[in-house]
Amino acid sequence: MSKNHVVGQPLPRIDAVEKVRGEAIFGADVQLSQTLVAKFLPSPHAQAEVLSIDTAQAEALPGVRAVITAADIPDVDTYDSGHRFHAFLARQFVVFVGQPVAAVAADDLATAETALGLIKVEYRPLPAVLTPQAAILPGSPAVLSGEQTGNGEVAAHGHTTVAAGKTTTEAKKSPNVANRNVYKHGDVEAAFAASEVVVEHTYTVPTVHQGYIEPHVVTAHWDRTNHVTVWQSVQGAFAARDLIADTLGIPLTNITLNSTEIGGGFGGKIEGIFSPLAVLLAKKARRPVKLVLTRREELIGANPAPHTVIRLKIGAKKDGTLTALAGEVLADAGAFPSNWIMNVITTLLRNNYKFEAWHLEGLEVLTNKASITAYRAPGGVNASFAIESQLDEIAGQLGLDPLALRLKNLVLEGDLLADMKPQVRIGAKEVLTALAEHPAWTDSLSPRSDNGLLHGRGVGIGSWGGGGGPAAALAILDANGKVRIVLGTADVSGSFTSMAQIAAEALGVSVEKIVMSKASPDYAPFAPMSAGSQTVYAMGAAVKEATLDLRAKMLKYAAEDMQVTEAELDVNDSGVFVVAEPEQIRSLQMIYQLGTEWFAEHGPLIGEGAARKRQSAPGVAATIAEVAVDPDTGHVSLTRLVTAQDVGKAINPLSVEGQLQGGSTQSVSIALWEEVMFDEQGQVRNPSLLDYHMATAADMPMIETILLETPGGDGPYGAKIVGEPSIIPPVAAVANAVAAAIGARIYDLPITPERVWRAIQSKRKE
Amino acid sequence: MEYELNLSINKQPVKITVEPHLTLLEVLRDHLTLIGTKEGCGTGDCGACTVLVNGEPVCSCLMLAAEVERQEITTVEGLAVNDELHPIQSAFVNQGGLQCGFCTPGLLMSSVALLEQNPRPTEVEIREALAGNLCRCTGYDKIVRAVQAAEEVEHV
Repeated sequence: MSKNHVVGQPLPRIDAVEKVRGEAIFGADVQLSQTLVAKFLPSPHAQAEVLSIDTAQAEALPGVRAVITAADIPDVDTYDSGHRFHAFLARQFVVFVGQPVAAVAADDLATAETALGLIKVEYRPLPAVLTPQAAILPGSPAVLSGEQTGNGEVAAHGHTTVAAGKTTTEAKKSPNVANRNVYKHGDVEAAFAASEVVVEHTYTVPTVHQGYIEPHVVTAHWDRTNHVTVWQSVQGAFAARDLIADTLGIPLTNITLNSTEIGGGFGGKIEGIFSPLAVLLAKKARRPVKLVLTRREELIGANPAPHTVIRLKIGAKKDGTLTALAGEVLADAGAFPSNWIMNVITTLLRNNYKFEAWHLEGLEVLTNKASITAYRAPGGVNASFAIESQLDEIAGQLGLDPLALRLKNLVLEGDLLADMKPQVRIGAKEVLTALAEHPAWTDSLSPRSDNGLLHGRGVGIGSWGGGGGPAAALAILDANGKVRIVLGTADVSGSFTSMAQIAAEALGVSVEKIVMSKASPDYAPFAPMSAGSQTVYAMGAAVKEATLDLRAKMLKYAAEDMQVTEAELDVNDSGVFVVAEPEQIRSLQMIYQLGTEWFAEHGPLIGEGAARKRQSAPGVAATIAEVAVDPDTGHVSLTRLVTAQDVGKAINPLSVEGQLQGGSTQSVSIALWEEVMFDEQGQVRNPSLLDYHMATAADMPMIETILLETPGGDGPYGAKIVGEPSIIPPVAAVANAVAAAIGARIYDLPITPERVWRAIQSKRKE
Repeated sequence: MEYELNLSINKQPVKITVEPHLTLLEVLRDHLTLIGTKEGCGTGDCGACTVLVNGEPVCSCLMLAAEVERQEITTVEGLAVNDELHPIQSAFVNQGGLQCGFCTPGLLMSSVALLEQNPRPTEVEIREALAGNLCRCTGYDKIVRAVQAAEEVEHV
């Protein structure tokens, strides 16, 4: 059985039919009788003291069933004032525009909205800080999340996660520095002195939203004494359950957390930060409560990706050998720190290429805006835009092919990463070579077409470590001869289809014999969040182990029943059969009976898979982008996109291609259109999908994908992490293509027509 | 103050009593339990709420239910006939034209309207017809292929 018969097949998603029928149940589709509509009252101020909240009139409005403020939050040992989760209702201070100050549950939406208008809040507006550049100044107003000392002063957040190294004196005195990292090796000053070319620039990436089409939604129902059942659009059911337990002091086993079909998450819905509002309202109202965010509330007050400012200096020899790397990363966390995303950005700047010496410093600072969280390879786009743009500029100055420059300096297995650990096997050379040989790179490209458009092409590469945490699943043989895979995972990316294929392959049956049973944390063994590209990689490994365990037990029962040895048996859809005499067979239903009939010799058949943490199996993607630029308007059209990724083994190529195409499109969209824009009062200027432009079908070309399968890691059937790497390179490939087309480089995203036009004008003046 | 509406939804007559401020989207989802049509933005920018009114794709979040009295409304629930999928639905399934599926009903409706009006659209025409339906998962490639595949089925 050396050739895979199910793994590797481009099967349609097992839930595709119910989705095209409109029958899949997403969060807002959950309908319990008597459900109330929840709405929250957002802060109009970026920072203010909440002096009083009068809810009496709102509570008296007919149809209003509950109103809550921070006064309704139970005291819990786990309270953490410095964490966004606990700020679901403002206490003494509001720290970002859009932060909930109160919430209502009412019979219908119109009543809920009217009730919000009847809540009277008295604020004392305070100075706010809105940009990371302002936030690091010693005289900056402090963002008032976090610990507050008795006299009203705020203790500074200061938390160095990597010790030693030179620190910026000014930043030390700022009240808003939440995290600082330093990575250094060798003598970077000497390395710059010995370089034959040195390039230094500052790159900015604005705040962007993950852009899931389904807004945050949660329904809560206290359906038993002291027990709440929640239906929520979340990526991590166990993490979501923990959030409710920690913020409201409810015992874990008193929470049932059902993850509903999710309409996109991309990191923005891992724990589901709005659930405590629904849970508290449902308790007070004694009825089920459903909270659905509006798109406006999403764009103002959810949890976007960070605004970053990255200063990067690179030195190289004339032959293209990279020598020195120095950089400063300034990451804007919003009002609460992430404590990890800035670190990722800092290390990514170093980890694709070898340098003799490096010195990288990162600061995560607080500002009075909605706080950040993950967005598909968090920090990847930010780092990629900087390092990949600068590599291209060096290639240009040295007259070297950009792909050749990258190939020359690639970090490969054994080379040291920023944390001084050796890189493991990674398909970086393979993806770049695939692109170097592709017509998209080798075809001649006319710099200017007859209609006056300027053409350019660019390349980028991005690697991603991904996750691979422990995971567990059960494989249970059911009465109808099907195998039920019980797991606590939310199916975010089509992983259930791939895992059904893995189970089918492991057992020896077709995928129709497998039933994927998603269960809440009440019933399912531990499942990591569906994020970090780890679902097929880590949970798939547990599924395979559970199925193999079940298979072994099935063979044992069948062997005894048929009086043969297990080595003589095999499995297919018809059952367990003797290979030499296939008519000697026990159907899967019969095997089930061998474990459940009242006179059965053995117990029921359950396979168990408990997979420990996976080995590192980093994914790497590279992209070629081709653009056409109108020099009169600055408009950029994407005319071609080719993305290659090393996926180890494509369990389901249709699904894997889709992941590459989706991630690439999000990246292009960041390159050209996306920015959450703030005014001087911290108000979001463009809180609608009209003004926050995300890529449409008319903006994109067909996307060619190249799947490479190189060995590495310990994933099921050779699979590596898949979901995230594809978002990392295209942003830079597009930036490099535009630079090639117009002969000038833009260092701030998005690459708007105005920025392109101005760059062309500046270049003409030179 | 309530209002009596006579609607025709997926070729079925429907008579309901609603408040006049309700949108077609709200009435479909909350009063008629036709939950296939989704809300992504509520302001007509994402297309997730697309239904057909007399064959024309419209954002149901932007129409009052009262406006469509006696108009022929088609939702995603009306595409399959007797359990058999519409060719566009089969094409989306087989081509991988959906991942999370939240934008899919709206896209299906826009695609059906396109193919009715333009039976042999070019790639550019497909992309322009679908430009009002945002998808964040797929990058649109397999959606375009699905429309092309459905177009071929209809002409066999």
